[in-house]
Amino acid sequence: MDNRTDSAAPSGRVDIENLAISFELPGGDTLEAVSDVDIVLEAGSFTALIGPSGCGKSTILNAVAGFVPISGGQIKIDNEPVSGINPEVGVVFQQYALFPWFTAIGNVEFALKRLQLPRAERRERALAALREVGLEDRASTYPGQLSGGMKQRVALARTFASEPKVLLMDEPFGALDAQTRIAMHELLLGVWDLHRTTVLFVTHDVDEALLLSDRAHIMSTGPGRIIESLEVTSSRPRKVDEMTEEFLTNRNKIMKLLRHHTVAES
Amino acid sequence: MTNQLNQLLKVAASLTGVVVVWWAVAISGLINPLLFPTPYTVLIAAKELYEDGILISDLGISLARASIGFVIGAILGISVGILTARTRFFAIALGPFLNLLRPIPAIALVPIAIVWFGIGEGSKYFVIAYTVFLAVWLNTHHGTAHVAQTYIRAARSLGASRLREFFEVIIPAAAPHIVVGLRLGAALAFLSLVAAELSGASAGIGFRLQDARDYIRTDRMFVGLIELGILGALLDQFFVYVGNKLVHWEQL
Repeated sequence: MDNRTDSAAPSGRVDIENLAISFELPGGDTLEAVSDVDIVLEAGSFTALIGPSGCGKSTILNAVAGFVPISGGQIKIDNEPVSGINPEVGVVFQQYALFPWFTAIGNVEFALKRLQLPRAERRERALAALREVGLEDRASTYPGQLSGGMKQRVALARTFASEPKVLLMDEPFGALDAQTRIAMHELLLGVWDLHRTTVLFVTHDVDEALLLSDRAHIMSTGPGRIIESLEVTSSRPRKVDEMTEEFLTNRNKIMKLLRHHTVAES
Repeated sequence: MTNQLNQLLKVAASLTGVVVVWWAVAISGLINPLLFPTPYTVLIAAKELYEDGILISDLGISLARASIGFVIGAILGISVGILTARTRFFAIALGPFLNLLRPIPAIALVPIAIVWFGIGEGSKYFVIAYTVFLAVWLNTHHGTAHVAQTYIRAARSLGASRLREFFEVIIPAAAPHIVVGLRLGAALAFLSLVAAELSGASAGIGFRLQDARDYIRTDRMFVGLIELGILGALLDQFFVYVGNKLVHWEQL
């Protein structure tokens, strides 16, 4: 399933070059959150960004999304520099960010409105998107009546419905329990297989990163930088209860790195 | 349903208790009955006012004043609140001034309102609208200025135009605060209504209270006070009911 060369949709390549991001602190000082980061996201690839909290992994994601300005280097999507929030780049947030005043299908239709389709077609496509995440029968339910896992499935449907070239996921399953998380991993890979969007997946969960991604970058703090990058070549679906040799080797390697860096800095 | 019935029973029990204590104090002989009427004399006074047609006409006049003042204040409050929350210009131009107005009570505006608008309806609308406006403005401003950042980010990355972002995200996100402002504004409309009617009115609940004082008709005063209480409570319930329908995703 992985390493597929998708000739139909060659777009969605992201180049992050020499990236630096700093924030102004209330006192007037600047905090260097991220520096010297180089990442290439091949079109249609699934990349994980792993690191402890505060390492700047979400900041990188926010910069690719156009939410925060960068202070050095550049980010290009299909050779176009990122200059702000762009609907070609979809974002899935940890706290879902569903609009509670719209129903599930209303949330998905919100994303489809920019395509200016006829009403009936928009509704049909929104329903199809909910079908992909198994929530067709919850179309007219408000987010307040959905469980955390269901909310994130609606959020996934909403983001995939607008067919972004790049999908950014910021610890999307961080608020879910372990069982729901496993189900969400399978669901995500299933839906992703239909769309083959380029994915950047931010997490602090090493297993999650190794289960999902083709490539994983490990980050460290002060300032945030990449300390190791590795390929995950074993075929999907990968399972936590059937770990391969490669999985264990990678896992041990990452754990050592994270432990070493955390100990050195704390 | 049983929950509502339960609630109703509690309210009835509490009010019955109050009336019993009131009655006991009134007939105990400790207080001059001229100053402290029994529930029965108040009921008779209400009946008398009703039969003269004054009770209903006062109610109508006061409600009309409160409603018109409320509508003017609410429309202005919502509009200006959105402007000061979403545009830098209005935030700087009006924010400090409006915050300076907030501690000025409605009753302090009555003399100037009479000079400006005469003793007719205009001055009443002005005083009521002023009070409602400040409450609605403050809540609208707060709600509209503090829309969760993730909502804005999600809307923009889903390709919403600024217009759609405003109507489909910012306004609904602020709606619970706006409804709270309207509810508060409705309660304040009654407070300022009485302030407005205490001077320079010839009808209305507030006027009737003042008028009763001239004849030491405490029974009639009690009628007026009870009217205000019931009216205010009903209106508040109405706002909670409509508000919960309107912003169904958030319990008021």
